[in-house]
Amino acid sequence: MSADLSKLLNAIGLLAISTVLALALVDQLWFGDLPCPLCILQRAGFFAAGFGIALNLIFGPKPSHYGVAIVGAIAGGSISLRQIVLHIIPGTGHYGNDVFGLHLYTWAFIAFAAIILGCAIMLLDDRQFSRAEPMSVRLKVLPLSALLLFLTLAIANIASTVALCGAGLCPDDPKTYMLLQGG
Amino acid sequence: MMSLPFVLFACAVGAAWMRQRGVSMGFWALGLIAMLVLFRFHVTEVLMIQL
Repeated sequence: MSADLSKLLNAIGLLAISTVLALALVDQLWFGDLPCPLCILQRAGFFAAGFGIALNLIFGPKPSHYGVAIVGAIAGGSISLRQIVLHIIPGTGHYGNDVFGLHLYTWAFIAFAAIILGCAIMLLDDRQFSRAEPMSVRLKVLPLSALLLFLTLAIANIASTVALCGAGLCPDDPKTYMLLQGG
Repeated sequence: MMSLPFVLFACAVGAAWMRQRGVSMGFWALGLIAMLVLFRFHVTEVLMIQL
């Protein structure tokens, strides 16, 4: 695999992570499904994992960047696993709406597992790391778009979390935006 | 406080964009620590998974 193909695949991966984060924001803003503290931390986990992919786009593919993505995905996956286990016994309730029969924290766990698997598959090919040829121009638009979207979503999540939780910790079951209610 | 990981990860992406790899990795590590500390704060409910 050439470094260019690796960069293209990383750009697609970062767009996929950004899509997950964008859908979470749509669910929050359009359907009024306010995120719980663990849900917010799972979003942060996607940023932790996506940062490794972003490093691949900016500095070129390196094994350490995939390591960053895997560590971030393990941290995020642990949080989603904890939330799954909270509701695993029938009758213990659930949090939020379900999508195709699974709740968002279950989908998050699947996504984190997919990130780890994707990074592991990418790490199998060493040729991307021995880059001799310069990066081609045609790949610049997609990585740049992916990075801009990722950064925009990070800023949007800062605003959303401050509006929801204010300066402190979030309530376990938020019903309204704390900042808009004046505390 | 819950927005702290997002702030740190955004700073990490910003620093990487400015080609400051070491600084960006530092922001990422701080963001990860902040995320895990906040996770610890919110994991207060005892799991009931006895069958």
